[in-house]
Amino acid sequence: MLALITRRLMTAIPTLLVIILASFFLMRLAPGGPFDGERPLDPATQAALQQAYGLDRPLWEQAWLYISRLVQGDFGPSLVYRDFTVSELIAQGLPISLTLGGLAIVLALMIGVTAGLFAAVRAGQAADKTIMMLATVATALPTFVTGPALALFFGLWLGLLPVSGTGQGGAWLIMPVVALALPVSGAIAKLTRAGLASVLKQDHIRTARARGLPEVKILFKHGLRPALVPVASYLGPAAAGLLTGAVVVETVFGLPGLGRYFVQGALNRDYPLVLGVVTLYAALIILFNLFADLIYGWLDPRMREG
Amino acid sequence: MSLYEIDQLAVEIAGKRLVQNVSLTVEAGQCTAIIGGSGSGKSLTCLTPFGLSPGIASGAMILDGIDLASADHQQLRNARSRLTGFVFQQPQTALTPHLTVGSQLQEAAMQAGSPRPSRKELALMLERVGLTRADERLDQFPHRLSGGERQRVMIAAAIAHHPKLLIADEPTSALDASLRAEIMDLLDELRAEHQLGMLLVSHDLASVEGHADQLVVMAKGRLVEKGATRTIITRPAKDYTRRLIAATPRLDEAPPKLGQPGEPLLETVDVGVEFPRPGWRSGKIRAVVNADIMIRQGESLALVGGSGSGKSTLGRAIAGIGPVTSGEIRWQGAPLPGRRQRNLAMRQLIQPVFQDPVASLDPQWRVEDIVSEPLRNLRPGLIAVDRSEMARQAMLEVDLTEDFLSRSPASLSGGQAQRVAIARAVIAAPQLLVLDEATSALDPLVGAEILDLLLRLQADNGLSLLFITHDVAAARRICHRIAVMEEGRIVESGAMQAVIEHPKHPATQRLVAAS
Repeated sequence: MLALITRRLMTAIPTLLVIILASFFLMRLAPGGPFDGERPLDPATQAALQQAYGLDRPLWEQAWLYISRLVQGDFGPSLVYRDFTVSELIAQGLPISLTLGGLAIVLALMIGVTAGLFAAVRAGQAADKTIMMLATVATALPTFVTGPALALFFGLWLGLLPVSGTGQGGAWLIMPVVALALPVSGAIAKLTRAGLASVLKQDHIRTARARGLPEVKILFKHGLRPALVPVASYLGPAAAGLLTGAVVVETVFGLPGLGRYFVQGALNRDYPLVLGVVTLYAALIILFNLFADLIYGWLDPRMREG
Repeated sequence: MSLYEIDQLAVEIAGKRLVQNVSLTVEAGQCTAIIGGSGSGKSLTCLTPFGLSPGIASGAMILDGIDLASADHQQLRNARSRLTGFVFQQPQTALTPHLTVGSQLQEAAMQAGSPRPSRKELALMLERVGLTRADERLDQFPHRLSGGERQRVMIAAAIAHHPKLLIADEPTSALDASLRAEIMDLLDELRAEHQLGMLLVSHDLASVEGHADQLVVMAKGRLVEKGATRTIITRPAKDYTRRLIAATPRLDEAPPKLGQPGEPLLETVDVGVEFPRPGWRSGKIRAVVNADIMIRQGESLALVGGSGSGKSTLGRAIAGIGPVTSGEIRWQGAPLPGRRQRNLAMRQLIQPVFQDPVASLDPQWRVEDIVSEPLRNLRPGLIAVDRSEMARQAMLEVDLTEDFLSRSPASLSGGQAQRVAIARAVIAAPQLLVLDEATSALDPLVGAEILDLLLRLQADNGLSLLFITHDVAAARRICHRIAVMEEGRIVESGAMQAVIEHPKHPATQRLVAAS
């Protein structure tokens, strides 16, 4: 177990390095720069800015500088939000995105696993088909439709929930979390149903049934765990995406999360900001895939081998 | 009154009647065995009354005074938890993968309402079924145990709540021959110890012969005949039973008449096969170590061993579908290169046939494409018409009619599928067939037919056979010589009859005793 974690963390370092370097050079291939505005700056100012941020040096030297600073935990300055470092921007946005994404994952798991479980137990019956249809609809509806629809209905018409910003208490979280969780819960419901329906046909379920155990116990003690393996492998990468900022939902509900910085950073050619968010995102993906692997081992110990 | 009595049982699935008119009894402390091929309805007969198959049972089924036919869901569950224990065929899958052996055993011990057993009591249960290091195994997950060990755990769990009736559905079919005998002996002991009634299901007459008091022979969902085991085996009343008895290979039957072998064809010299350990562990698994075997032209060599002995790995190495790490394979004295370096002529010489006939045929293809596939690769010059003609010929050679060519593998029975696999193997006119457990997955009647077919192919075409199996009695029907493998090494070899009469190595003695 410990060996697995150490090994995975060791391989994570070169992976991260490759991702950072690739993004670094790809970004520089894109036309435009951080100081291109509506009105062109005069060449002297432009040159001065370039020099101040080290953008006039050879590309490989800039890459080397960036990485050597990164190792010390310094994401560099933002080129567009000039009073802030990237670390500060991330520190502002990340808590909001983490709260939003974390709650959405919990909600999606609760809805998805419960719905999938019901559907699998009633496989082939009307309840199964209804749940699966709803799951398909939930998966298919994009957040830029559900978000505004929720805001319109609960915010503007009923006036129950705030439509924008982070207000007092937790009420501001409800709609963004629901909008974010809906498609994920649909996917989880489908995966749970498929996994459980196939596990319930397996021999060890018959063994449990032969023991005269109650159906509920067969389901939860003998059936559910291996059925959740596909959910874990889906949720690993999906969680990293949810936690680092759901761009659309954050924009719709006017939340200052990480997603907003990412998009604006990319549009403005704010190189350090984009690289910082990419690095964070990549690190989280690697981390969550590791979590997923550890969870596999718990869900089905056969997966711990090899 | 009998412990368990079935009268006029019928089983239906989706309106189709798959079992009818089956009656049998099980007495306390005795064993009743149901024998039948696949599709005979034997498993349905023993599982459906307890609600453990998709079927619906009708008729009278009375266990210990309780009428199962009129029992509702709850009563049936109650009967299962108190009165019966079950052992199923596949020990690999019959235990829950994410629960430790100890927790499953504990669940089984408590299923009839007994208090939670202590760890010591659980360990004793495992020791009783012949598991060593019992305490350690309580914390292990099932996949860490071997097939035989898992089946012992299944048995310990099946009797942990002191049932009155033990139902064993093909308990030894997935195990190798020497393990089969040990498990059957264990079941006998436990039956006597606890005065258990036992309902045993098997497709293999030989494996139940010394163990069952009563025999019930089934075919196509009906009862063929029943009675005391000895009576049925010595004086079978029905033709089907007679054929079944004749098809079951025995070591004491008359030796077969085999052709005279010619010159040495294939030799392995010091062949070794190593695999890297899975995962990141260092070291190698030595699957085959310094194996020397030789097969003459027109000769059959039995390569016999338990599971994990390396016999299949050696077979694959010879057929050119598995790696060779060291040593040399020679064909008529000249070295045969590794699999990637073999040219078409060399590849044509040796063809494989595998254990599971249905799984070894591509379900998307028609039989004609499957049978003629080797020609497309080995003889690229042939035109389509010639290939079709040769496919027809090959089908005739394996006693299948032409109209099978247009069918899909899913529509074939196990025996037909294995014939198709043999047709595919012989179509390119090979000189050696490597048969890896080619009859082990088949019913005895079908398996015997395949053995006869192989004998005939050898007589007609002078084919040499490498017959890989764990079943010495089956091998004796077609093989001139035998080589016994254990832990990757050839531990004994010689003429078939001589080795069977005077086995020297303990591994050979075990295999012979188990047949």
